Amino acid sequence: MTSLVSLAWIYLRIGLVFVGGGYVLIPLLNHIMVEQYRWLTLRQFLDGLALSQLTPGPLAMLATFTGFRAGGFLGGLVATVFIFIPCVVLMLIVGRNYHRLKRIDLIKGTLDGLLPAVVGLVAAAAWNLGVSSLSGAKELIIMAIGFAIFKWTKVSPMLVILGAGLTGLLIN
Amino acid sequence: MNKSKPVSLKEIFLTFVKIGLTGFGGGMAIVALVERICVHEKNWISSEEFLHGLAFGQILGPFSLNVCTFTGHHLRGIRGGVTAAVGFILPSFLLVSLLSWIYFTYNKLPQLQAALRGTNPVIISLIVVVAIDMGRKQIKGANGALMALAAFGATVLLNFNAAWVLLAAALWSLGMSLYRRENA
Repeated sequence: MTSLVSLAWIYLRIGLVFVGGGYVLIPLLNHIMVEQYRWLTLRQFLDGLALSQLTPGPLAMLATFTGFRAGGFLGGLVATVFIFIPCVVLMLIVGRNYHRLKRIDLIKGTLDGLLPAVVGLVAAAAWNLGVSSLSGAKELIIMAIGFAIFKWTKVSPMLVILGAGLTGLLIN
Repeated sequence: MNKSKPVSLKEIFLTFVKIGLTGFGGGMAIVALVERICVHEKNWISSEEFLHGLAFGQILGPFSLNVCTFTGHHLRGIRGGVTAAVGFILPSFLLVSLLSWIYFTYNKLPQLQAALRGTNPVIISLIVVVAIDMGRKQIKGANGALMALAAFGATVLLNFNAAWVLLAAALWSLGMSLYRRENA
């Protein structure tokens, strides 16, 4: 078990670099939780992703799951609060000053410019996670079906994950 | 807009709890729900201001949470913003805590293991589809494609930490923005 203070510090730092939408958290959290601190196995990390996608909250709810693993309910609470502090504070500052934010074009331009790197990181996460966790024809077929559903239909991810869980229960 | 009588924190809280409970689909589905309730049903914020909040919401963190914070702040200042953010996250937080508890307690159950063996490949395909869709939208021209490839290569082949790759991309992008501004 890790102290709540160090948990808070870890998630606060993640919250500060959390740009370009929630998916960049997958490579970041995978690195920290699985490779650096070894709080989770790769399998548990992926299971946590599935669980956090079952809620209406953002993908960052993965912080709750990983924090829970590191420090129980309180760990989950601390992780969730601290990962969201930076963006909530920023939005409060923006809400107060947004008529006067003249440098916004520079900020916006910089953020738009780094989005391709986020795409590369997300693709790399898919690659790394896929290579190290998928095995056997059954899993590859399920992945292909999942890909087709996500790519060409509008079925909500929650339903697809529930369906996949049911499928797993029936065939394994 | 009714400015004479401020919206109570309790009403803000309950409204965003409701959004946090029913907004399945995440991301843009939440934004659409917040817009329908706060702009059209309750007249809490004008459509133009809401769009400004959405634009700023892309800067840091999840924009579904950010539009909630922004709308809450618009109504009742800092306390309103925090109330809206907490209300929105609370249902998901409790649900994930419960699921995590079940997961780590009954990890060994063969049924749970079997179900999770089914969800695992689907999570990978979800990430692949996100990468493709984001790439379509965000990568314009050779510069963007090179940056995406460099980030991919640095992580997969050289095993760089994602945070450093992100920082390098941000510095590069800031330099490009400044350069364009100088030469505009």
